[in-house]
Formats: sequence, C-alpha cells, structure tokens
Amino acid sequence: MSAGDQPTTSTTLTLAKALNAGLRAALAGDEKVLLYGEDIGSLGGVFRVTDRLQAEFGTDRVMDSPLAESGLIGTAIGMAMRGYRPVVELQFDGFVFPGFDQITQQLAKLRFRSHGRVALPVVVRFPYGGGIGSVENHSESVEAYFTHTPGLTVVSPATPNDAYWMIQQAIATPDPVIFLEPKRRYHEKGQLDLTAPARELHEAAVVRRGEDLTLIAWGPMVRTCLDAANAAEQEGRSIEVLDLRSLQPLDMPTILESVGRTSRAIVVHEAARNYGPGAEVAARLSEELFYVMESPVLRVTGYDTPYPPSAVERDWLPNLDRVLAAVDRSMAY
Amino acid sequence: MYQFKLPDPGEGLVEAEITQWLVSAGDEVRINDILVEIETAKSLVELPSPVSGRVHKLLAVEGQTVEVGTPIIEIDDGSATADSEEEPKHLVGAGPAPEPTSRRRPVAPPADQSATTAVQPVSTAAQPVITVEQPATTAVGKVLAKPLVRRLARDLGVALQSIRPTGPGGTVSKSDVEAAAGLGRVAESVNRVAIKGVRKATATNVSESIAKHVHVTEFNTIDISESKRLVEVLKARREFAGLHVSPLLIHAKAVCLAMARHPELNASWDADAGEIVYHDEVNLGIAAATPRGLLVPVIKGADKLSLVELCKAINDLVVTARDGKLQPADYAGGTFSITNVGVFGIDTGTPIINGDESAILAMGAIKRKPWVVGSGDDERIEPRWVTTLALSFDHQLIDGEQGSQFLADISTILSAPEMALLF
Repeated sequence: MSAGDQPTTSTTLTLAKALNAGLRAALAGDEKVLLYGEDIGSLGGVFRVTDRLQAEFGTDRVMDSPLAESGLIGTAIGMAMRGYRPVVELQFDGFVFPGFDQITQQLAKLRFRSHGRVALPVVVRFPYGGGIGSVENHSESVEAYFTHTPGLTVVSPATPNDAYWMIQQAIATPDPVIFLEPKRRYHEKGQLDLTAPARELHEAAVVRRGEDLTLIAWGPMVRTCLDAANAAEQEGRSIEVLDLRSLQPLDMPTILESVGRTSRAIVVHEAARNYGPGAEVAARLSEELFYVMESPVLRVTGYDTPYPPSAVERDWLPNLDRVLAAVDRSMAY
Repeated sequence: MYQFKLPDPGEGLVEAEITQWLVSAGDEVRINDILVEIETAKSLVELPSPVSGRVHKLLAVEGQTVEVGTPIIEIDDGSATADSEEEPKHLVGAGPAPEPTSRRRPVAPPADQSATTAVQPVSTAAQPVITVEQPATTAVGKVLAKPLVRRLARDLGVALQSIRPTGPGGTVSKSDVEAAAGLGRVAESVNRVAIKGVRKATATNVSESIAKHVHVTEFNTIDISESKRLVEVLKARREFAGLHVSPLLIHAKAVCLAMARHPELNASWDADAGEIVYHDEVNLGIAAATPRGLLVPVIKGADKLSLVELCKAINDLVVTARDGKLQPADYAGGTFSITNVGVFGIDTGTPIINGDESAILAMGAIKRKPWVVGSGDDERIEPRWVTTLALSFDHQLIDGEQGSQFLADISTILSAPEMALLF
C-alpha cells in the first residue's frame, strides 16, 4: 500500500501494516491524535509500524522523542490534559519500565484522583513477547504489571483485522489503554474487513469452535493455540480457541459461555506462570464454574526465569507440543 | 531471482555507504559468502549472502550511500522474479522462526537405566497414555472426587463414602456415582437404565391418568400481544422489583379468574365414592423440568393470591424446583395444572391430566406471526405475538361446551387483559 492510500472495503495486510493503516485512519480522523515515540518519525519505528506517517502528517503530529520513557509518558499525560489524544510508542516491552512510574502512578490514577474530572485518553502501545530471536529486555510479556493496576485498560490484538480496528478503538477510548502488540506476529498476514469492527474493544472472541476443551489465549499465543487445536483434531479431539483480546477488563460472559460448554480450560501465555494472567482467569473460572468443570484449569506459560538467550527461546516459550501435553493432562481427569 | 536488500546491521540504522563489493556479476556465491562491505555510522560491516546462486547484477556502486531496504544486488538462485512483497529485514532479532503444526512424536522414556537408546515407534494417531497424578489420600476417610461428581452424587442422593472408586488415582468418577444410583451404563451398544425415582413415578402417573380420565383436547390460537405488553408494564412497577415477570404469570392469573365461572374445571371425579368433588380453592400445579425430572409443584390457593403474591409464589417455586429441593407436600393436592411447552419453542401439545385433576392447560410458544386485524376496508395483516392454547379435560365430568367456554374465557383475558375486570 503506498503512502496516503486508504483501502476501501477489504484487503490483506500484515499485522504491522494493519496497525500502520489503523494509526493513519486515526490521525486522519481526528486532528487531536498525536504519535510520539523513539525513532517513529523518519525511521518509521523499529518494526515500521509508523512507516511514512510523519511524511504524511508532519513533524507536529508524528514526533520523535528523546530516549527517555518516563518523560515520554509524562509528556503524553500533559498533552492529554490539554485535549490531545497522544499515542505513545515504546520501542520494546522491556523499555516500559523507565516509564512504569508515570504509567502506574500518574496515568492510571488521575481520573480517580481528580474525582472523575480529568480523563486521560492516552494509548501506550508497544511490541511485546518473544519468538523473534532477540534478547531479554526485548522479548518479555509484561501484561500482568498493568492488568494489576486499576485504572488501565489492557488489550492485545492477535490478527491484522483486530490490530486495525482495536488501535482505533483504543485511541477513541476516553481513558488510558495499554496496547500490547504481538511482535512475533507483526509479519503474519490476514484479511481486513474495512467496513466496521467486528466487536467492541473489551470483547473476547471464539476464534475456533470446539466441544472438548477451551484454549484461552491472546496476542501471540492465539496462533499457537489454533495450530494446536488443528493438530488435536487429527487425534480426534475437538478444541475450542478463545481469543481474549482484552485482558482488562476480562469479557467474563464470553469466557463463561465457552468454558461452560466445554467444562475444561487451559490458559496459554508467554509470560511466566507465577502470579501471571492465567492465575486470574483460572481463579474466576473456579469461582463461577465450580460444579461444571471436569478438570482444574491448567496453565501453559513461560518458565519462572528471566527471558532466556534467543538460542533457547524455542524451548522456553509455550509451543504446540506443550499445549497438546496440557490438553492430554486435562482430558485425563 | 533473489533481490538482496540493504539490511540494518544495527538498531535504528537508516542508511549506509557501500565501501567495497567482494563479488561481481557472473560470480557463483554460496550461502554466507561475503557479498559486500558497508560502512555505517559506527563501523565497517560485512554482509553475507543468504542464498546460493550466480550474481546477476550489482544495483549499487562503491561509494554510494543507500537507504536501508533498497535492493543492492540480484542473485539468480533459481527462484522466480523478486518478490516485492517481501518483508523488510528485521532490525532487532533474527525474526520469527517457523512454528510446528503437528505434534512431535512422543519419545518413550527408557524402561530402566540399562535400557538401550532404542525408542519405541509411536503411532502419531495413537492417543498418548497420560496418567494424572492425584493428591495422596492423606486425610483419613476423605473421598477423592471432583466437584462435578460431588454435585452429581448430592443431586442423586448417593453418599460418596458408599461408592467404590474406579476413577484415575482412586477417585470416584461420574460413572461410579451413576452406577451407585442405579443409573449405571452397561458396556453394550445400548444404555440400560433402571426405571426408578421420578421417571418411574411419572410413568405410573401418566399411565394411570390415561386409564382414569377420558381425555379431550381443544386448541385456540390467539393474539397475545397485549399480555406481552402487560408483562413489560408490570416489570417496570415497583411492586414487581426483583421478581421475574413472564407470560406464565398472566396465564396463571387468567386460569384463576376464569375458574370462578366454571367450577367443574376445578373438580375431581371420585369413581370409588360415586361423587364429583368440587374444590373450594384453586391449587394450581405448574409442570417443571427439574434436575430430578418432571415434577408438578402446586401453588395452594392460587385464586386467593394477588397478582404480586402469585408472581412471588411462581418465582419461589421455580427456585425450589431448580435446586431440586421440592418436598412431596409441594407437589400434592393440585386441582388444575399448567404446563409450558412453549419454553421449548413448541407451538402446542396434547397435555395429559395430572393426578386426580380434571383439566390441564398447555402454554405454547409465543411467536411473531401474521394476524388479520381490523374489518371492512381497514382489514389488513399485521405482525403480532401469537400463541396457541391447548386445554385437555376429562370428558366424564366436563362437556365440550364447558371446556370450550373456559378456554374462550382464558383466551379473552390473555388477548385483552382489561377484560379481567369482567371476571
């Protein structure tokens, strides 16, 4: 797609280019939308998500920032208080921590602290997760830090179509959204329906129907779970795959409808297991479906270590074999 | 033809200068042969070839500054023309590795330390045998069973302690409980289930009813839109806050009101005594599908209840029935029953009279249907909420005339609730 082109009804794009198209649509649709981040201007971002946007919308709206995440978030908070809708790009998941104080102590709290008077429509977007042969500090899954912080909405698209619509929905949200981009899926292609979003930002989606068990995932692990479900079908098992899309809030009606039908659930995420997002999903299911479950909610996750060197990340990350091994364990109850 | 585009050898690089070509057109190159030396802001970098083949053309000259992503050399590697859709080189990391789409063959662990490394072939189609480690039975006398099974045992009235566990890890399984409750499955192509409990009682009741009563069923299809509207009006009222208001309530009230004009519908045929027994009160039975089977709990003195009280009585009854907590007294002493087959989306049926009662009303599904309204020039078809009522009655003590008038009265109230003022 060349610069300035907006497709009309449907097209096939990579997830990175779908985000680019979504950001372009948001910039074109509301002059208060600003992009701010490291190397997002002339370079177009490390993953080219903001490719050519500065050339199209100018240096006043697509701005390169200093290498200082705390100041980056703080500046966005100030801009939001003055009526802008800043979209902040952090280069990598590991780089969020210099800005962690601004996110958790200011961005998340100002609405509450001001008795509802100050809304901060800020989107903090960054690539997360591993699987691209990179190092620690560039491969982490940091969802739980933010889902545990009241005042933040936390979402993650898994497909180009969701990327295109969810980034626009996130920008339109009146309160802060942490927008997690599955970096290992940036170059996977998918069909975009450009007429309307399929669902609300907070809604989960059953992306594969099945009867025996529900795999619950988001972002990068949705593809892994779909592959595992397809492989399980060869073994005579009917596996449902639920893409949560939104981690905070959780779409409990959709989760309960699915697991209520299958009576078995496995949560799959790249983040380490201890106190991870899977624990929250498992706890909610055991509260709501105690008498429905055929087996305990299992978790397939990264190990409780720092992210390993890229040479061994394939053994560290949840993969098809580990998902299917958990399916076997669940079905054995 | 493979087009090699200038990659970013360092994070954030935008451009680099070609300092020296190490190959020229016509050269054979192999994977990892150095093609070119470039100079970035930081250092000199050698770029290896990702493919094998013959160099077709150099696209940049020494000394030229080239933007990252620009093709700098074409290598004929036997592939088709350069793919313009190719992704830009990864600035960080090696890029995502291909992921497997099928299970690796499970490797059987050696039987003991002296075993050779021979691995047993495993059919990929075979289900791997997995045993789940169950927690040890440390608590003396504690039965191991998952919550689902505990609930099933409770619902079936089976004591878990009395069941021989055959599930994994010494747990009581669902089929253990079902077997203990006499619902066990036999390992043949059919399920043989003992006839007992509610199922047996239901079978006895309906057989006896057919033998005892002379069943006649009448039907009437009506426009019930006004009752639907009334339900919405009631829902909004404070008296009904917290109560579930449904068309069943209006049906129940209509039955109670119409009954005052037709006492023979609220009567019993006592063949032994040679008498017809007229009941003072309407004890309204409502057929309910409960976890234990079909039961007909009774609202005593339903005709004496206000609409709010009747609604509350129905609500309470639904909860008690759903929880499986109905006591025998709760479903004894009925004088007339309502069964709602409409909840299953069914238009109507021919209900069987319950026990010693003399009539039963079946509620059908309430559906949007075309309905003729108006008259003369104004006559037209409109979409309305339409339902079919079915009344079964015992022809021994109720004639067609009485049954028809009773059904007509109920129909009048349901299609025009304000007509209840006439009753």
